[in-house]
Amino acid sequence: MMDQHEDPRFEAWLRKAAESYHAPDPTPRDVMWQRIQTARRQKPVIVLRPWMAWAMAAAAVLILGIGIGRWTATPTGRGNPVAVATTPLANSDSGLAAPSPDVVYQVAATQYLSRTEAFLTSFRTDLGKNHAANSARFAGQARDLLTTTQLMLDSPAGKDQRMRSLLEDLELVLMQISQLDPAHGGHDADLITQGMNQSNVLPKLRSAIPAGPVPVRTEGAL
Amino acid sequence: MDESQLIARVRAGDGEAERALYDAHVDRVYRLAFRLAGDDALAQDFTQETFIRAFDRLGSFRGDAAFSTWLHTITTTVVLNGLRKVKRFRQREADIDDAHEIGAMQRHAEPDLKVRLKQAIEALPEGYRTVFLMHDVEGYTHEEIGAALGVETGTSKAQLSRARAKLRVALADFAGEWTT
Repeated sequence: MMDQHEDPRFEAWLRKAAESYHAPDPTPRDVMWQRIQTARRQKPVIVLRPWMAWAMAAAAVLILGIGIGRWTATPTGRGNPVAVATTPLANSDSGLAAPSPDVVYQVAATQYLSRTEAFLTSFRTDLGKNHAANSARFAGQARDLLTTTQLMLDSPAGKDQRMRSLLEDLELVLMQISQLDPAHGGHDADLITQGMNQSNVLPKLRSAIPAGPVPVRTEGAL
Repeated sequence: MDESQLIARVRAGDGEAERALYDAHVDRVYRLAFRLAGDDALAQDFTQETFIRAFDRLGSFRGDAAFSTWLHTITTTVVLNGLRKVKRFRQREADIDDAHEIGAMQRHAEPDLKVRLKQAIEALPEGYRTVFLMHDVEGYTHEEIGAALGVETGTSKAQLSRARAKLRVALADFAGEWTT
């Protein structure tokens, strides 16, 4: 029996009409292949040896135990925030009372990189749509991100050679975007986009960001 | 050489086999990414990300299902997550703009079929839109869609039926074109 919505004539018409919806360009095989190869070469490879797996499992159990301990601790300790605030971290018995600065910077770096990735992706796809209005907006956002980039370069996150190189690439791109002039048309933007493609900034950025949405990437780090 | 031999060679680190595997599947991955994203730069990004993940995780491919099914699971995950990220970013920017500007940017209904169809497809819920584009436009079977999206085949069929019903209502002005 035919479903009440089923109508072969409509379905055939719809299929034909929908062929023009987001009709793909010819596949740029070689361009994408080059970028895939470059991104894979730059991706850090971590070979998980058996002892590492055991060490990670032990660390996970330890963290879980500490978490449960903190969760189930009597409220007497929690009721004395002044003592916590005035006790130097180095004198803390557990040493786990607060996250280490490196972890904090790592979380901040992940959040910053995710924001920058979303920004650059949007810049590349949206700027051409309404150049005059969008270039002013993108320039403003780039200035904000540029400030953060420069702070990141001076932070412990910038001590890592790979991260430093990425931050320097981003600094250059953001600086160019922050100077976009709405009156200049799309030529400057095209040059920036070409530069981004040549230096492989987005693939590098993506490979520096742990998989998963931002809250998941940073979950449990603090 | 069949695909399982090709995959074994890729696992053994054979660069030529890697390229051959890529060539065998890249068209379909890129086409799907383009249909869903509607933008060449995004489609390229998503295709690249799909293959980077696929090559990195090839060790976990057990061969229970076809390689293409496994690859399309990665593709849909990458594309849908990527599009959500872009949408969230655009939404945040739109919230910052003033209401007048947003009102001015909205398009009014157009009599043109192409424009109306685009609007109607984009107004579909994400699941309906994905199934409709995969099945009716790119020719995937319900079994392939179910495997790629992690849903039952029946769910895929139901979503397609609902998508078509919604499109039929949205395109009612053009009814003369399919009834004659």
